[in-house]
Amino acid sequence: MRILVVEDDRDAADAMARGLSEAGHVCVCAADGEAGLTEARGGGFDVLIVDRMLPRLDGVELVQTLRREGDATPTLFLSALGEIHDRVAGLKAGGDDYLVKPYAFAELIARVEALSRRRETGSVQTLLRVGDLEMDLIGRTVHRQGRAIDLQPREFQLLEYMMRHAGHSVTRTMLLEKVWAYHFDPQTNVIDVHVSRLRAKIDKGFDRPMLQTVRGAGYRLDA
Amino acid sequence: MRLPRLLRTTPFRLTLLFLALFAASAGAFLGYIYVVTAGEATRRTDREIAEETRALSAVYRSAGRGGLVRELAARTAGDRPFVYLLSDPRGERLAGSIGRSPVGAAGEGDIWIDFSILQRDTGGAVPHPARGLQARLAGGEALFVGADVSEDDAYVLKIVGALWGAGALVVVLGLIGGVLVSRNVSRSVAGLSGVVVAVRNGDLAARAPVRGSGDEFDELAEGLNDMLERLERSMQGHQHAGDAIAHDLRSPLTRMRAQLEAAYLDVAAGRGDPAQALSQAIEDADGVLRTFGAVLSIARLQAAGAAPDPELFDPAALAADVAELYAPLCEDKGVAFDAELAQDIAVRGDREFLAQALANILDNAVKYTPAGGAIRLRVRRRSSGEVEFSVTDTGPGVPEPDRERVVERFVRLENSRNAPGAGLGLSLVAAIAQAHGGRLELDEGPGRVGAHGPGLRVAVVLPRGV
Repeated sequence: MRILVVEDDRDAADAMARGLSEAGHVCVCAADGEAGLTEARGGGFDVLIVDRMLPRLDGVELVQTLRREGDATPTLFLSALGEIHDRVAGLKAGGDDYLVKPYAFAELIARVEALSRRRETGSVQTLLRVGDLEMDLIGRTVHRQGRAIDLQPREFQLLEYMMRHAGHSVTRTMLLEKVWAYHFDPQTNVIDVHVSRLRAKIDKGFDRPMLQTVRGAGYRLDA
Repeated sequence: MRLPRLLRTTPFRLTLLFLALFAASAGAFLGYIYVVTAGEATRRTDREIAEETRALSAVYRSAGRGGLVRELAARTAGDRPFVYLLSDPRGERLAGSIGRSPVGAAGEGDIWIDFSILQRDTGGAVPHPARGLQARLAGGEALFVGADVSEDDAYVLKIVGALWGAGALVVVLGLIGGVLVSRNVSRSVAGLSGVVVAVRNGDLAARAPVRGSGDEFDELAEGLNDMLERLERSMQGHQHAGDAIAHDLRSPLTRMRAQLEAAYLDVAAGRGDPAQALSQAIEDADGVLRTFGAVLSIARLQAAGAAPDPELFDPAALAADVAELYAPLCEDKGVAFDAELAQDIAVRGDREFLAQALANILDNAVKYTPAGGAIRLRVRRRSSGEVEFSVTDTGPGVPEPDRERVVERFVRLENSRNAPGAGLGLSLVAAIAQAHGGRLELDEGPGRVGAHGPGLRVAVVLPRGV
């Protein structure tokens, strides 16, 4: 993927670029809002990572400008402002996701990859399929190898999210935000418990486990 | 040049203003009294003179000039308070008690005049003020009738004197009253401004005196004291937060630094695997950041003093969501969990913050409740109308004397030192409750049952919603 990083903190931008490159992505960095806008207008990026507070042109304005010009490139806001209304303001301006600084690297990469997936699966789907696992979004049923799997509503949502991001890591924070819509950080491993229950339902009794734990990052559903 | 302090005070200036207004109106009133009383005396004299003149004219008409001359002689000899003069048309004196008319021989019709007559007092002849009327009779003779008005004038003078005295009394009493009121008000204001000066100089503990009279100054003083109370608490909170941050962040940061240094030395010496030390350092950094985030949230909530994003919502639905998040965790730990959620209650507040508060309380409950215990989540409306979210567990509980302390930032009880968590959970919950105008309550749980208990009951009580 080609990723544009607009971040005025040179060290942070370098570290990000290195990490993203190691994860197999191509990174272009811009150190202020105007430079970022120029680069973004050049096009060809799969994801934009934009710091909210930038010199010369504010991150929110940058994204607003792009959206007005019809550029819908998925955008992840980075910000030291973590309050709910900051996040809402960022998403309202046209951001697709919002990550509060400081963040774990695995979190950043997982979110960037989730954003790029989002564009590919933009059309309305009624059936999700990952390997031999099938989810009918209308009938609200799940089958693996033709065998019906009974899921609680929340487990269903959890699995849907994992299936939509199959092959990519999703972090605990992402699950808490996207499946439960909570933006705080529980002290205990609540998410792990839910995931392991889901895992017991979809993997138990099958020859090959699909739901993987990714050390230091979170989980990944493999085909 | 600066005026003396008393003269500069607002009440004194107001007093002067009112005094001026009062003096003006009193002056008008006294002036009216003067006009009415003094005027009345003059008019009465005039009436008497006119009456006498009419009577004498009647004598002239009936008895002729000779009759009038006789009558005048009789009246002059009598005890009448008048002086008379009858002159013929050429101005020659015919009869009367004075030699010459003050009006003179000329003049037609009735002529009024103020003049003076000599009266023989003890000290000799003294001119007295007098008033007279000269009338022209049918035969061309001039009849002059005058009266001594010195007694009237003395009466008027007395009135004027009394009025001046009254005016002076008004001014003096007004000034004295003004000074007393000013001093009283000034003292009250001085008390308040003394507090303001003290606070400006950094003494937040200063409080304005409340005299207990319940007047505006007391109200102002109470308002000021209330404001200072909050300010002081907020400042103490910030100070405490600063101390606590320094204290709680310094130790993990120090540990982190030591680990990084050790890892660096290992790598520099080409021995050992730094991965272990680095991953520990990252974990410590995460802990520091979590603590920092919680402190920031608390500080912001306390600074804002209000729920940032209030909306109306169903607390049962919110609690059910959080319960659903924690139920599997309890089950895995072997702790019974149930939720008792009253329906049809509405709460106004920040959904996310309240969910976080519940999650924090449940985090603690799960953390401290041993296997075999139980946790109950409850939402209900109290008879007072307040909405209560409560979590009761069968863990070790918090001894009564420690309950207030565990809500303070960073406090964890000694025996729980090894449990994870920064000890900020309940402080954050308390800050969230306060931002919603509510409070956090800690009570004993269900009591001791076997090896369990007495447990803890943590309740977030929010004010009656809509």
